[in-house]
Amino acid sequence: MSTKFDLNDDSLVVIIGSGAGGGTLANELAQKGIKSVVLEAGKRFKMDDIENDEWKMFGKISWLDKRYVVGPARIAEDFPNLPAWIVKGVGGATMHWAGVAMRFQEHEFKMKSTNGVVPGANVLDWPISLKEMEPYYAKAEDKMGVTGTKATGMPHHSPSNHAKVVAEGAKRIGAKCEAANLAINTEVRDGRPACQVNGFCMQGCRIGAKWSTMYTEIPKAEATGNTEVRPQSMVLRIEHDKTGKVTGVLYADKDGNQHLQKARVVAVAGNSIESPRMLLNSASSMFPDGLANSSGQVGQNYMTHTTGGVYAEFEKPVHMYKSTVVPNIVHEWRDNDPSRGHLAGYELETLHLGLPFMSAFLNPGKGGWGRELADSLANYDKMAGFWVCGEDMPVESNNITLHPTEKDQYGLPVPVVYKTDHQNDYLMREHAYARAKELFDAVGAIKVNNLPPYPASHNMGTNRMSEHARDGVVNRWGQSHDIKNLFVSDGSQFTTSGTENPTLTIVALAIRQADYIADQMMKREI
Amino acid sequence: MNKNNKMVGPMMNRRRFLSTTGVMAVGASAVVLGGGLFSPDSFAAQQIGKDANATLMKLARDIYPHDTLEDKYYSQVMSPMAKSAETDADLLKQLSEGVAQLDTLSVEKFGKKYTQIAKESDRVVVLKAMEPTAFFQSIKGALMMGIYNNPELWPRFGYGGSAWEKGGYINRGYNDIDWL
Repeated sequence: MSTKFDLNDDSLVVIIGSGAGGGTLANELAQKGIKSVVLEAGKRFKMDDIENDEWKMFGKISWLDKRYVVGPARIAEDFPNLPAWIVKGVGGATMHWAGVAMRFQEHEFKMKSTNGVVPGANVLDWPISLKEMEPYYAKAEDKMGVTGTKATGMPHHSPSNHAKVVAEGAKRIGAKCEAANLAINTEVRDGRPACQVNGFCMQGCRIGAKWSTMYTEIPKAEATGNTEVRPQSMVLRIEHDKTGKVTGVLYADKDGNQHLQKARVVAVAGNSIESPRMLLNSASSMFPDGLANSSGQVGQNYMTHTTGGVYAEFEKPVHMYKSTVVPNIVHEWRDNDPSRGHLAGYELETLHLGLPFMSAFLNPGKGGWGRELADSLANYDKMAGFWVCGEDMPVESNNITLHPTEKDQYGLPVPVVYKTDHQNDYLMREHAYARAKELFDAVGAIKVNNLPPYPASHNMGTNRMSEHARDGVVNRWGQSHDIKNLFVSDGSQFTTSGTENPTLTIVALAIRQADYIADQMMKREI
Repeated sequence: MNKNNKMVGPMMNRRRFLSTTGVMAVGASAVVLGGGLFSPDSFAAQQIGKDANATLMKLARDIYPHDTLEDKYYSQVMSPMAKSAETDADLLKQLSEGVAQLDTLSVEKFGKKYTQIAKESDRVVVLKAMEPTAFFQSIKGALMMGIYNNPELWPRFGYGGSAWEKGGYINRGYNDIDWL
C-alpha cells in the first residue's frame, strides 16, 4: 500500500476504476511485474464501514453523482436521476454485486449469426468465442472462488427457504432450476471465510465471504509493490499526443486539486456510463467526437439486461431474507428459442429484497401507496420472488450523451442516459412475468406482484467490442481500434449483453486482456 | 472545481435518490399524540390547527394503511417534519395549504371534509387527485422511511434486519421451511 509512483512516470499503466475490470486488471498486471496506478473516483471503505442496512449502505457506497434518465420507459419517471445502481468506492460494483457467476452460453457470443438482422436493434457477433473464453472463465472462477465449478471444487450453498420455494415451484411446472454458481465461499478459501448467510450480499459482504476486488485483487496487487491505488481521484480527461497515442490522465483529487498522471497505457474501467463519458469528455481537435470514436459507437448501444421483478405472497412464512441474496436460478428459458415469441433468453434469479427496499420497489414512483401495497408489505415475511435477468437488445439510440449545459461537482458535463425497451425486451419481460406467476401459483401463491425495472446494476455495451473498426470501439482484446495504447476493461466492451450476470465475463476478459497487454508491452507494440 | 458544489454527504445523496421516488429521508424518533399527526404541543400543530393535524393523521393512515399499527408510529414519523416546520415557513405553508386543498377537493367530490368521508375508497379518490403534489409526496416519502425502514417495526413485519453480528442465519433457520 506504500508504493507511490511519480506523476511524470510515463512507464505506467494507468487504470481508471477498481471494480471487476479495473481491480482484476491491476492485480493480473502486478503479478506479472507490470506497474500501474489505479485512479478510483470513490473512497476506500473498510470492512467496518459495511453494515447490514439497505438504505444506509445505499447512501454510503452508491454512485450518486448527478445523472439524467430520459426516454419513454417508466424508469425515467420513477428514477429520473438514478439510471444505474452501482458503487463509488474502491472495489466498485463488486461491493454491491450478488456474487452470481455464470458463463455465457456459446450462442451468446454470436447473436447476429444466430438470429440474423433484428429490426430496430444493432446486433453484432462478438469477435471472440466461448471456446476461446473457456480457459479464462476457469481462471476467473478459481480467482473469485465460484461454487459449483471444476475450477474450485467448492460445493454450492445449501438451499435456503427461499430457494426451496422456488425449486418446488419449478419442479411442479417442469422448469429447470439449479443452485446458483456464486463467488461466495462455502468453505474457508483464499484467506476469506465461508458464508454465514447474513442475507445482505448487495450491501457489501460484512465478513468478506463474497469476492470483491475491495479485499482481494486490490490488496494483492498492492502487496506486490507494483500497484498504487489513488482513491477519490476523479478523471477529468485522457490526454494524447500529436500522433494520437494517449499519454496521461488528468484527474481531480479529493480537494479538487488537479493532477496529470503520465502513462504508457491507459485502461478505462469506470462502468458503462462513466467509461464512454470519459472518452467523450476527452474530445480534442484531433478527436472532435471523443477518443476512440471513429465508429461513432462510443456511448451507444447501452444495455442493462431486460429486467423486472416478480414477488409472490403465500399463506405461510418463507422469510426469504434468511438466504444468500441469489440462492438459485430458474434457467429453463435461457436459450435462444424464437418460438417463445422473443429472441435470446432470460434467467429467473431467485432474489430477495429487505423490507425497506421492498417498500420502495414493489410499486416505485409517485403512485406507490395505498391499501393494496400496504397489504402486500404486511405479507413481507410470506414472500418469495425473482429478479428477471434477460438478454437486452443493443439499440443504438439507447445511449450515454453529455448534457449540453449542466455540469457536475467536478465541472464535467452531466451524463444523460437514454434507455427504452426494444420490442423484444418487452415481449421477453411479459413472458418472464407469465412463467414466474405460473411457477409461484404452482406452490400456492395467493398473489403475485410484478415489479417494473429498477435502476440497473448491469450496465453494458457503450464501448463495444467488434471485429471491424467501423462497428465498435474496441477489438477482441478490449484495445481501442483507433488508439493502440488505450484499452477498455469493463462491461462497456460487451458486444451483446448475454443472459448471464456480467461480472464473471468482465473478470475473465480482464485476465485475458492482462496477458495481451503484457505481451504487447514486451514486444514494444505499446 | 467549484468548491461550493462539492460532493454532498451521503444523507443529501440519499435524499436526492429518495426525492425521485417521492421518499424523504427521515429518522424515526420522538414522542407524541392526541389524534393528530403532529404532537399537539408542536409549533406545527399549533400553527396548522387541531383539525388540520387530525386530517394529516387520517391522510397518513390512508397512504400506508396498516390497521394494527398504532397511531404513534404514524405520528413519530412526522416529528422531524413538524420540527422543520418551526423554522421553515415554506414547509409550514405547504402543510397548511396541502390540508386546505385536500379538504377543498373532498368537499367538491363528496360534499364533506376529508376526515368526514366515511369510506376509505372515497378518500382514496381524493388522495389520487392529490398524488402529484409535493405535499402528498413528501408525506408519503417520510412515511415510507418511517414505517418500513423503522427497526422498531421490523419484527412486526417479520423482517430480521442486521444479521452479521448474530452469526447470520446459518444456524438460525435459513432452511427450516416445513410447508412445501
